[in-house]
Amino acid sequence: MEFAKKIVDSTEEIFNTMIFMDISTDGCMSEGQEILFSNVSAMIGLSGNFTAMLSLHCSGYIAMEIAGAMLGMELEEIDADVKDALGEIANMIAGGIKERFASEDIKLELAIPTTVSGKSYSISSPTRSNRVIIPFDLVQGQFFVEMKYSLN
Amino acid sequence: MGKTVLIVDDSTTMRKIVARSLRQAGIDFDEILEAGDGQIALDVLRENSVDIVLSDINMPNMNGLEFLKAKSEDPAIKDIPVIMISTETGADIIDEAKSYGAKGAVKKPFTPDLINDTLGPLL
Repeated sequence: MEFAKKIVDSTEEIFNTMIFMDISTDGCMSEGQEILFSNVSAMIGLSGNFTAMLSLHCSGYIAMEIAGAMLGMELEEIDADVKDALGEIANMIAGGIKERFASEDIKLELAIPTTVSGKSYSISSPTRSNRVIIPFDLVQGQFFVEMKYSLN
Repeated sequence: MGKTVLIVDDSTTMRKIVARSLRQAGIDFDEILEAGDGQIALDVLRENSVDIVLSDINMPNMNGLEFLKAKSEDPAIKDIPVIMISTETGADIIDEAKSYGAKGAVKKPFTPDLINDTLGPLL
């Protein structure tokens, strides 16, 4: 199953259509590299022909820049609007991935997105899950879209 | 008399974006009402005169399909047209939504033009 291209295509579609920020990527992060400077994470579960967690990770500054672009307003703190916007972006990325897998007759259902923020947290996943991380570059910095998945 | 739209989505961000997209598409409503889930939407419809509903599907408490089914069983509100706006636009889900009376669907992410193309014929 091809995950990276679906993540990239779905993410680019959303940023081009509803956020209007230019993004670029060089593809998957190398295995073993860690995510840096992430203190906002939006997550959504997927289940069906495989089980997965799609996450968007970024710094607080980038979260405010992305949410502000999406809402058309300047945001100065990581408030409910920022968390809601990031959760909705994760939801749409997951929806795009679901649709792309559906065209290969792979069926998935989406859960409800959740966003967490803080200065120090970790997100764990089943030890046997696989992991794909795509770093995306913006003029203002970087964000990451991660998919942890476990084949049934 | 002006028209009223009800936007149903658990995301406050998405409700704001849908409202902004309606304005950008040149669709003027005198009043824009909002609901965070299907149950609240039913309450709003029973208490207000609403011309059209734009509803998400994937919501907590009462999702968009449950909302459509409950609405279709209430004679007072069953004829108010509903357009689904959702990441969930697979054929199975849209067929189910249409079986409960949905008039169309817009896939997230969307553009104002896409909203206009779907809503225009119903207004």
